[in-house]
Amino acid sequence: MAARPRPASDEAREALRDAMARLATGDQAALEEIYRATRVKLFGICLRILGDRKEAEDALQDVYVNLWQRADRYDPTRASPIAWLAAFARNRAIDRLRTGKVRGGAVPVEEAAPLADETPLADMLMVDAEQAAQIHKCLGALDARTQGHIRAAFFDGQTYAQLAEAADVPLGTMKSWIRRGLQRLRACLEASEAA
Amino acid sequence: MSGPEDTGPEVTRDDPMIAAEWALGLLEGEELLAARGKATTDPDFAWRKQWWDDWFAPLTDGMAGAEPGEQVWDGIAARIAAQQTAAGVAAASPEAPTVNVVALEARVRRWQWVAGISSMAAAVALALFLSSPLGSPVAPPVQIVATEPMVATVPIGENGLRLDVTYIPESEKMLVAAIGLTADGVHDHELWLVPADGSALQSLGVVAPGEVRSMALPAAVTAKLSDGASLVLTREPIGGKPEGVDAGPVVAKGAFSRV
Repeated sequence: MAARPRPASDEAREALRDAMARLATGDQAALEEIYRATRVKLFGICLRILGDRKEAEDALQDVYVNLWQRADRYDPTRASPIAWLAAFARNRAIDRLRTGKVRGGAVPVEEAAPLADETPLADMLMVDAEQAAQIHKCLGALDARTQGHIRAAFFDGQTYAQLAEAADVPLGTMKSWIRRGLQRLRACLEASEAA
Repeated sequence: MSGPEDTGPEVTRDDPMIAAEWALGLLEGEELLAARGKATTDPDFAWRKQWWDDWFAPLTDGMAGAEPGEQVWDGIAARIAAQQTAAGVAAASPEAPTVNVVALEARVRRWQWVAGISSMAAAVALALFLSSPLGSPVAPPVQIVATEPMVATVPIGENGLRLDVTYIPESEKMLVAAIGLTADGVHDHELWLVPADGSALQSLGVVAPGEVRSMALPAAVTAKLSDGASLVLTREPIGGKPEGVDAGPVVAKGAFSRV
């Protein structure tokens, strides 16, 4: 299956929403449509978390088979389909990482922090831009170090223990830093919702 | 270096905080299991996890996309086709004893599909069917058909971790598959039958993490096993609930139904 340009247009978003609805009724063609539209993004997520192509491909297969089996779990009134699928794929990849089959994750914290170096593929379906701007703004309001640790947890699936070791601080210190950061992050995001 | 996150009082680790740690992937072992269990019974907590997932999701746009190998879709299509074939065969009515075994096998596969469990658990279940007196070649086919297995899937959170429980009536055997569970060295998980008639909970024993295990059930328990009977999983000290104390927190629930 060759990569095809797939603009993250409203039409693409609507087509995906429609395919997700049909999937819930057991339409197998809908699954293939969803796969074509989202595989590049979801595989990128699995690959980033697991750091191993074979593991990431296995994880990706599980994501879509599981999606087929439990299509009713997606609630169209809540998240956008691509946001939901992205979270779903990342959660599955993290689960796989934590079962200990792979030693994953891969890149050191310092390399994980900057986002500018990572160019998404042109045909990758993206999550809603407005929401993206807000989370980046709220993360950006944290001190650089805390921000880096939260990003390393998100992007590389690092555990508290790994983060503490990399930063050479006690585990309890790392937990306090991240929890304070998450508390501020929540306040910032909630304020944006209320606005 | 100092900043706002360096100082100040320790933050309260309330439910929204735990949901955030879960969404980031920071929870492990027992804490992860507890969070998944809580999400099945506490809508506010489940809502908050989804809330964090929704907010974090745009960050995935910063992960470079990648093209998976072509065999990935082939694998997905094959797995789905196999499941559908199995479901189709199972729906057909058996006409001869040999067909019965095929149908039985298909039914196990369909159950495997319904429950999404491993092929190892399905193989053990099939062996149990066939080793029961009713599964022997001389048994009248009608009795095989009468032996409708009962299954319960006990999801632990939303991430596919689950217990699969199969009861084969008249064999008095129950199969418990706890494949995704891992031992934390501090707790055990105990499975309880909640009879549909409202009578007292009956312990079905401690589950063995990562294993598929068959257990014989006493008549007092099988008498209470019926369609609609529920199962709950509680967290207990190693070895299960001690005598004379209340059971630990419920981490997951499920109900029996016939395949």
